[in-house]
Amino acid sequence: MSTPTTSATSALPDATPAKHVSRFRLASWAPVIVLVLLCIIIASINPNFLSFGNFVRISQAAMIPLVLGLGATFIILMGSIDLSVEGVLTLAAVILSMLVLNGANGNDYGLLAVLAVLVIGAAVGFVNGVIHVKLKVPSFMTTLGIWFIGVGAANALLGGMAIRINDPMIRGLAIERFLGFARGVWLALACLGVALVVQNYTRLGRHIYALGGGEELAALSGISVARVRIMAFMLAGVFYAIGGILAAAQLGLGNAQIGNGRLFTTVTAVVVGGTALSGGQGSVLQTLVGVLIVVVLANGMVLMGVPPSVQIGVQGLMIIAAVALSIDRKLMRIVK
Amino acid sequence: MSTFVDRLGIDRLRQWLPLTTLVILVILVGALQPVFLQPATLLQLASDTAVLFILATGVTFVIMLGGIDLSIQSMASLASVVVALTVARFGYGAFALAIGLGLLAGLLSGIAHVRLKIPSFIATLAMGGVLYSSALVISGERSIMLADAERSYQSWITGTVFGAPGVIIIGLVVLIVAHVLQAHTRFGRYSAAIGAGEPAAYASGVKVGRQKIFAFVLSGGFAALAGVVLAGRLASGSPTLAAELLLPSIAAVVVGGTAITGGVGSIWRTLVGALIISVVRIGMTFLGVNIFAQNIVFGVVLIVAVAITIDRSKIPIVK
Repeated sequence: MSTPTTSATSALPDATPAKHVSRFRLASWAPVIVLVLLCIIIASINPNFLSFGNFVRISQAAMIPLVLGLGATFIILMGSIDLSVEGVLTLAAVILSMLVLNGANGNDYGLLAVLAVLVIGAAVGFVNGVIHVKLKVPSFMTTLGIWFIGVGAANALLGGMAIRINDPMIRGLAIERFLGFARGVWLALACLGVALVVQNYTRLGRHIYALGGGEELAALSGISVARVRIMAFMLAGVFYAIGGILAAAQLGLGNAQIGNGRLFTTVTAVVVGGTALSGGQGSVLQTLVGVLIVVVLANGMVLMGVPPSVQIGVQGLMIIAAVALSIDRKLMRIVK
Repeated sequence: MSTFVDRLGIDRLRQWLPLTTLVILVILVGALQPVFLQPATLLQLASDTAVLFILATGVTFVIMLGGIDLSIQSMASLASVVVALTVARFGYGAFALAIGLGLLAGLLSGIAHVRLKIPSFIATLAMGGVLYSSALVISGERSIMLADAERSYQSWITGTVFGAPGVIIIGLVVLIVAHVLQAHTRFGRYSAAIGAGEPAAYASGVKVGRQKIFAFVLSGGFAALAGVVLAGRLASGSPTLAAELLLPSIAAVVVGGTAITGGVGSIWRTLVGALIISVVRIGMTFLGVNIFAQNIVFGVVLIVAVAITIDRSKIPIVK
């Protein structure tokens, strides 16, 4: 399903390239093997897993984590982290619900509202990037602050209400089907395509890998580190905003709790897919595999009758296991 | 920005800015609402600050080392659930059980961070998920009210000693214990050394890993104590009881002047920081700001405080 990208390998600083390449290949295929094994085990316990209806369910559960994970992948590839996922998503979902045809006010801006929400996602990402780069505040602190600012702003806009969405186009993302799958799933796949193009065929994508591989080297090679970082955060913000649109479509309303728990799933999916937190290694295709692992496991646990509240704990353990297995400890003596 | 800070003298700024801010805030809120300056209100303020201060104290030890603990709110919530579920059966043992769980969770976070070399924010984010999930499972995803008979065990929290609320006494004990640990023990000095420059501390023979694990154990234990106190004050336990406390706690530490990069800080600063956060919260309530929208202010305060206190010479590459 996923092939290791050559750009990732070339960005790795290592004295023994041959050895490293083989290690890297294994590391990037391990998630695929885990996914296949997981499918085989669940299918052998409950054959219903392989029904078309269940595939549709899995695809619907995976579409939002995938879109969020795509954005977060670019940030993690730089060696940074973005904790503002829930903030941007909630703000986007709430603003969308206020601008499209809804049950609370007379607005009906349709596509224009979608565009506005995407711009807001980019704007929040821009703020993240500027604070992070210009004030030199570590990304996890910047985005922790922005996370709560985003959720707080959404709360302030709503004043404790929830706004029902009546716009047929937005609702259609979750309800209307194309070739058996919800339209939102196709939108998420389109996002994956865009992310692949950005990652493999644009200067921004290459520069993100270069930053993650070694920032000093990248800066000395003439890459404008500040600009790349700010643009990456803007790109991620747009993806989170799309995640917000999908979440609002799925729930049929905008409320301030819509983002709860999504950061956790996003980070789990990205690191379980094999993208290293130290930056430079990974790809959006690996995030797709990571998302499928998380969603298939959750789906399998539901089929086996495990309560959903256990899933958060399992995801937590998966994060620790995945990060512990993927970190290249030779490269980092100090871990903070 | 940075030149402006440099001109003022960053050390002097770090030293006195938090206390000055606190005094100005108290005067401001007092001028707007004279009721605020009455002893009863100030006592109430101190009581309300206690839980935040205890949480922030635990995480101060971790931040001093240059790490972070994002699992404290989940630990506090889990502790409240444990107390609510077991106080009828174990009596005072329920509090020990909850705090013991906190120490254990801290130990596990510390081991995951030190032995598996997982960055602390991700190790504790994951641990927070595990704790939250545990709280959801054992509480059956609901909040548990304490019965009257069970509330009698909470009198050390809700009662008064010589006219002072028990919760303030607990806060003072935490302040003394934590201050001694931080300022007058080998652990405290090693922590500051590790935060100031880990390679140098390591080269000087400090057992860096052990100090780090101990800091996480303290953070987990104090978080559990905060949860126990919170459960006593609200007479209930719930998996989301402390959910809104993570950001204010970290903000309290940083606003007090402890640098997120480690090495610089103290428990006293965290006390000042926690009081600032409390006064800001009360001030906003007086002004009629929506309780959820208050997170906007705390988010801004956090970022500004980090930007002012951070030691940029220590991080040539900011990630």
